[in-house]
Amino acid sequence: MHATIQKSIDEIVTYFKPGEKLFVVGCDNCAAKCHSGGIPETEEMANRLKKRGVNVIGWCVPQPKGMSLCKLSNTKKVLQEEYGEETRQADSFLILACGQGFHTVIDATDGGAVHPGCDTIFGGETVSDDFIAEYCSLCGECIVEQTGGLCPVTLCAKSLLNGPCGGAKDGKCEVDRNRDCGWQLIYDRLRTLGRLEQMKEYVEPKNNSRWSRPRSLTVGEKEATFVSLAGSSTIVNHD
Amino acid sequence: MSNLKQALQDKKFVVSGEIGPPKGVDIEKCLKNAEGLRNQVIAFNVTDLQSAVMRIGSMAVSAKLVERGLEPVYQLTCRDRNRLALQSDLLSAWAFGIENVLCLTGDHPNLGDHVQAKPVYDLDSVQLLKVATTLNQGHDMIGHELEGKPDFFLGGVVTPAADPMEPQIIKMQKKIDSGARFFQTQAIYEPEQFEMFMNQAQRFNVPIMAGVVVLKSAAMAKFMNANVAGIKVPDNLISEMEETKKEDRKKKTVEITARIIRAVKPLCQGVHIMPLGWDELVPDIIKQAALD
Repeated sequence: MHATIQKSIDEIVTYFKPGEKLFVVGCDNCAAKCHSGGIPETEEMANRLKKRGVNVIGWCVPQPKGMSLCKLSNTKKVLQEEYGEETRQADSFLILACGQGFHTVIDATDGGAVHPGCDTIFGGETVSDDFIAEYCSLCGECIVEQTGGLCPVTLCAKSLLNGPCGGAKDGKCEVDRNRDCGWQLIYDRLRTLGRLEQMKEYVEPKNNSRWSRPRSLTVGEKEATFVSLAGSSTIVNHD
Repeated sequence: MSNLKQALQDKKFVVSGEIGPPKGVDIEKCLKNAEGLRNQVIAFNVTDLQSAVMRIGSMAVSAKLVERGLEPVYQLTCRDRNRLALQSDLLSAWAFGIENVLCLTGDHPNLGDHVQAKPVYDLDSVQLLKVATTLNQGHDMIGHELEGKPDFFLGGVVTPAADPMEPQIIKMQKKIDSGARFFQTQAIYEPEQFEMFMNQAQRFNVPIMAGVVVLKSAAMAKFMNANVAGIKVPDNLISEMEETKKEDRKKKTVEITARIIRAVKPLCQGVHIMPLGWDELVPDIIKQAALD
């Protein structure tokens, strides 16, 4: 999921010109789980802005339940058909979702003006209803086969690939003594799995061209094509 | 061939010193400190933005040492440069006559004075050693041929007091496989602990220089114990410092440092003395440690 956190209301209110007609849009998937842009938060944001004198002309969180705002076909249908009357009047949209959602609304409104209502902070695991943690950096070249399923790019503050630096103390990272050293976690896990030998293998530097931005993925039923500065790579997911 | 490489190859016991470049352009003072130790140490480590604090670069100060006929150990960290800059800086260093290179990960920017900086770490220290070895062989890391190749003497670091020690040993092996031909350690205060480490590291048959940081006060010891990874100052040394009158403190510092050096000397192939500004004590330390 894409973890998001709302920007402060004080920052958000500075975005709008006097009288600007605003429509607020949330997301019922990730932002709902983050309580940054589900139905209650989106309605609440509309009311908070009205209270501060912003001309809010409506709000919505595209349904059905659990739907992602970043699914363009659905968002377009909802914004242009269900809420067409309001969205056509709107001068701009405040988006309570991730950065992908911001762009989805631009596309769904044929180039509408958007304001970011959230900071998109990371891709994470929903560990519990109230805790989301980052385990993957979306680098485009997974190496966790060698590290017991734990990603050193993400869990090590320095993204080291060949073992720990000398900075850990009592298994905690040098940047934050409350945080586990990623390589301590990997070492412990490889030991538990009986695969410590893997830690002795040299790991090549990352191919950062697979981590270039922006990237795209074209998907079909039987194959997928990933395009980055590393080139275009097609994988057949069928025998 | 660098003096350091020659001496270590000849199985001599070596003593190296350290310079921390200042924040600013006035490097006369640190060069003068080095000058004062010309006959005491074989080479001077020049730290690379130590503690992730922005300063004048280690290459410039290393080059200035070369100009004065002093030998640097150019410290190069992975924190601030991508693979293009790391390789290019290595070639530039060679052009300045720098032969010894210590390849390190580097403290995280969050520990320094520019906490919002982007941490680079495009390569890690193992990969950097491998890349530097490739340059020595006349190619860049992609395999493109170089016009003229360097011949660096490459070193790495290891933390003997790390707990657990095994990951450090695993990484040390990787560093050796990648081209590390000497090692410097994090500061040693417990020779017994160092001996345990050496029992495991001896089999690598690579010269290891024990790191010795001069202990200036009990407060410094407590600070390091609380904050610096891989350093453990035992209680008896802390009480020894506490019981020393202020005016006798430098004398005590010399005594303790020399004692540690004497204890580790039979175990390794050199010491790397980090005086942290108390450079004037180094000759006495060397004398008391019977290294002269």
